Amino acid sequence: MKEERIEELLGELAPRMIEPVRPGLGQEIKQRIPHRLTRHKIGWDTVNIIIDLRLNRSVAAAVIIVAVLVFLNVFGGRDTSGGLYQDSKLLLRYLGGVGQNDVSTGRKKYEYLQARGENVTWYGDWVNPADSNAVMMQQKLPEGRYVVTYVDGREMEVDSERLIELLSRTMRKKGK
Amino acid sequence: MTEQKTDPAYLTSDQVHAGQYEVHPDQKRHSLVARLKAGDRAAAAELVDGYYQQIYLFMRRFGHDRQTAEDLTQESFFNAWHHIGQLRDGKALDSWLYRIAANVSRLYWRRHKHKEVVGIEIIDVSAGTEDGYDRVGRYEQLDELAAAVGRLPVRLRETIVLHYMQQLTIASAAEALGVKEGTFKSRLNRALKALRKDVT
Repeated sequence: MKEERIEELLGELAPRMIEPVRPGLGQEIKQRIPHRLTRHKIGWDTVNIIIDLRLNRSVAAAVIIVAVLVFLNVFGGRDTSGGLYQDSKLLLRYLGGVGQNDVSTGRKKYEYLQARGENVTWYGDWVNPADSNAVMMQQKLPEGRYVVTYVDGREMEVDSERLIELLSRTMRKKGK
Repeated sequence: MTEQKTDPAYLTSDQVHAGQYEVHPDQKRHSLVARLKAGDRAAAAELVDGYYQQIYLFMRRFGHDRQTAEDLTQESFFNAWHHIGQLRDGKALDSWLYRIAANVSRLYWRRHKHKEVVGIEIIDVSAGTEDGYDRVGRYEQLDELAAAVGRLPVRLRETIVLHYMQQLTIASAAEALGVKEGTFKSRLNRALKALRKDVT
């Protein structure tokens, strides 16, 4: 069949492809008109773009979380080496990928810091992994300060006296 | 306040119907858009009155069953309330609303890939005007064409539905689909070629 004929038939088809609309549909739609008609100019477009990209929900969530973390670390004035690492670890733990074993995760951080030439000491091989308050690693900072990392991943900046106290407590618990 | 009342952009449909002003349809649309953008709920109700049947038929002609067409029509208007900021002027009103409806429909097909296209029943309006043989032949041809439209891929089908069935101009239909006129014409061409092959 010729294209002109198809066009002619399509023109004829339109007025024949009609049917009555259910009475009440218009009223139902009108009842759903919000009290304040809002103007979303950018936000909804962004959502639509994400939908159009057909991103997997978990991937999209991970991308958004990572973007927020990077943003906070860049503009939040935090120490990016530790903060971003900690947040990423939490994120990975949340997503269920890795991070089941805090000691092995801490070991990776120790190796990373050591490769960077930081003055770090590793205690993770002999501490009790079940003791979340055990000191797993220490990092020496200038002016006699230290950053201790506990088994559960928490970090704390302490002076030398406090460091000794924490290490003694860890050893005492291990001894028991 | 007085100025606002006399400005055609703020005319209500009651004023128009009462014959206080002779308003051109384009001007009426501009007025509707201006009021929508100002957050006027009465204008929103007017929009529903003026377009809900068109949008419902668009959904039906696009191959959605009755219930789904009703739901998607409601969803289209619901989305429209949230996209009022994107409305430009009266001229773009049709394409704006059809764009929202087309997106709603496309999203539905994407989520229900295997759902069957449900054709709308063709009304035999030529009864009595042609002899029996011609009438039946023509009806069958139209029925076959309607089925062929339903078999087109979504992107091609929407060009046919918007341009030939919803009677949108090439420019408006292209805008409704968010593509350039050239792209729309090329899709329309492909759709016509596919229909030509499919319909004997």
